[in-house]
Order: sequence, then structure tokens, then C-alpha cells
Amino acid sequence: MNHPEHELAKKLVQYLDYGVDHLEPGVREQLAAARRTALSHYREKPASVLGLAWAGQAAHWLTEHRHYSARLLIAATALVLATAGVVYWQNTGPANGLGDIDLYLLTDELPVNAYLDKGFDSWLKRSSR
Amino acid sequence: MQPPGSTKARPLATHKELSDFLAEVERRAYKQALFAVRDNHAALDVVQDAMLKLTEKYSARPPTELPLLFQRILQNTIRDHFRRQKVRSMWTMPVSSLLGGDPEGDADPLETLEVADDSKFSEPPAEQAARAQVLAFIEKALEKLPARQRQAFLLRYWEELDVTAAAKIMGCSEGSVKTHCSRASHALAVMLTKQGIKL
Repeated sequence: MNHPEHELAKKLVQYLDYGVDHLEPGVREQLAAARRTALSHYREKPASVLGLAWAGQAAHWLTEHRHYSARLLIAATALVLATAGVVYWQNTGPANGLGDIDLYLLTDELPVNAYLDKGFDSWLKRSSR
Repeated sequence: MQPPGSTKARPLATHKELSDFLAEVERRAYKQALFAVRDNHAALDVVQDAMLKLTEKYSARPPTELPLLFQRILQNTIRDHFRRQKVRSMWTMPVSSLLGGDPEGDADPLETLEVADDSKFSEPPAEQAARAQVLAFIEKALEKLPARQRQAFLLRYWEELDVTAAAKIMGCSEGSVKTHCSRASHALAVMLTKQGIKL
């Protein structure tokens, strides 16, 4: 195809190639240094590819063992929920409430509501015996 | 024959193949970046970033895929440079407007370039000088082109990529690539004629 546009482009490219061939030595050295830096990061198997390979293997296993996958998913979900429950219990459970009551008793700052609670009365009688 | 389910082995780019590839494209990549960002240091940074990304993330690709991948990375890195610059200018613009703008900011760089009356090359030193002058003009003209036109022109004609590959890199249709190329060629022809340059 000898379109005038292509002809002009071809001639312009010849000039651009000339410019690249006659690049300043300083720039050429900097480019070579940049290339060496980049190549120093070369790995036979890049990390991201390894990660993808692992994910691929896992996905492949799940599709191959489809009858296991549902049970596995349920077990994993149960485990996650149980762990979350334990963490929640530790942070907001009654142990902390009891600790607070002990503290209130020691400092004589028990709230009025505690005295109105029948259970508290009986507990007080039992503990005083 | 490979067992079913196993991944198909691909010939990956070796260290030498990658090194040879980068050595071949680095200067053109630098010029491409320079046309776009118009700053020597920034252009070098862009090329280094692109080479690093290719080496770190895509060295496990076959060597035949490297040109397309590298061009895509390079164009994205140039785009990232402009994004960062835009964010930076959001902070610096109010300050510079207070201090007063650049009085030569509106000057046309092409007007400052002197072109030899006789562009025909007779003797080697004269030929060299004339060629360098025309080259300087062409490079400035390329800088002046709209970014998409320049990108399409360089990818198609300098990097010798086909329309499909250029469209993939630019993230547009093949028709758009053709239009950008045509407009770029026309604009360059007009600029050259205006300066009395005949290639």
C-alpha cells in the first residue's frame, strides 16, 4: 500500500530512527542503568504468577471435588463464626460485668438497681454466711 | 500429549531474551515518553518504571508477548505520570498564580526552531547538520500533536504494531486508531510544509 500518508510516515520514522541512533551518550548510559536495575528484579517465576497458580490449583481442586466443596464451605463458615463468637464473648461477655460489680462493691459505689435485684439480695446473704 | 487438566507449558522469556528486548526498545520508549512528558528526567523515570513493571510482573510471559505488554505498560505509566502531575498542580497552581505566570508560556516552540534553507544533503557534515535540524523540528511537531494522535502515530508507524494491537493498547476501537493516525499524519504534513521542509 503506497498511500501518501504511509509514505510520509515512513520518511518521518527514518528521521526518528536516526534520532534514536544518535541519542546523547549520557541518556544512553542512564537507560542502560535503568535496564540493569529492572533486570535485577527478574525472577524465573514471578510472585504474582505463583499466587495465581496457587489460586488456580485451589479452584481446580474445588471444581474437581464438587461434592466436598459444600461441606468444606459449611465447615469453614462455622469455624469463622465460632472464632468471631469467642472474640465477641471475651470482649463483651458477663465476665466483664462481674468484674465491674466487684469493683463497685469494693468502692462502695454499687448502683441502686443492684439493691432492688432479688437475686443480689440472696447472693449477699449466701456470701455473708 | 499432555494429561488432561495440566497447564500447557509455554516458552517463557529468559533473562537474556528480556534483556535483549529491553535494549532494543528502551531508546524508542524514552523518546515516546519524552514527546509526551517533555522532560528528560521524567521521561527516564517513566521508562525505568515501565521496564521494572515488565520485569517484575510479566517476565513469565512468552517473548512474543513482550512488545505488546511493554507498550501497554509504557502508555499506562505515561498516563500515571500525568495523573500525578495533575494532583500536584492542584496544590501548586494557586501559589504560582499568586506569584505570576510564565511570560513565555504561550510561545510556540516551533517558531524558535530555525530550519536550513537547503534541506538537501550534499556533504556528510552538512547533511548531518541539516538532518539534525529537521529531526529537531519533527520531534517538536510530534510534541505539539494531541496525545492520542501522537500515540496512535508512534504505535502504528514507529513501533510497527498493527491496528488491532494499537487499539488494544490505546483502549479504543480500530476505527479510532485509523482516524488518529490519519489526523496525525495530516497535521505533521501541514507543519512541515509551513516550515518549508520537504522530506
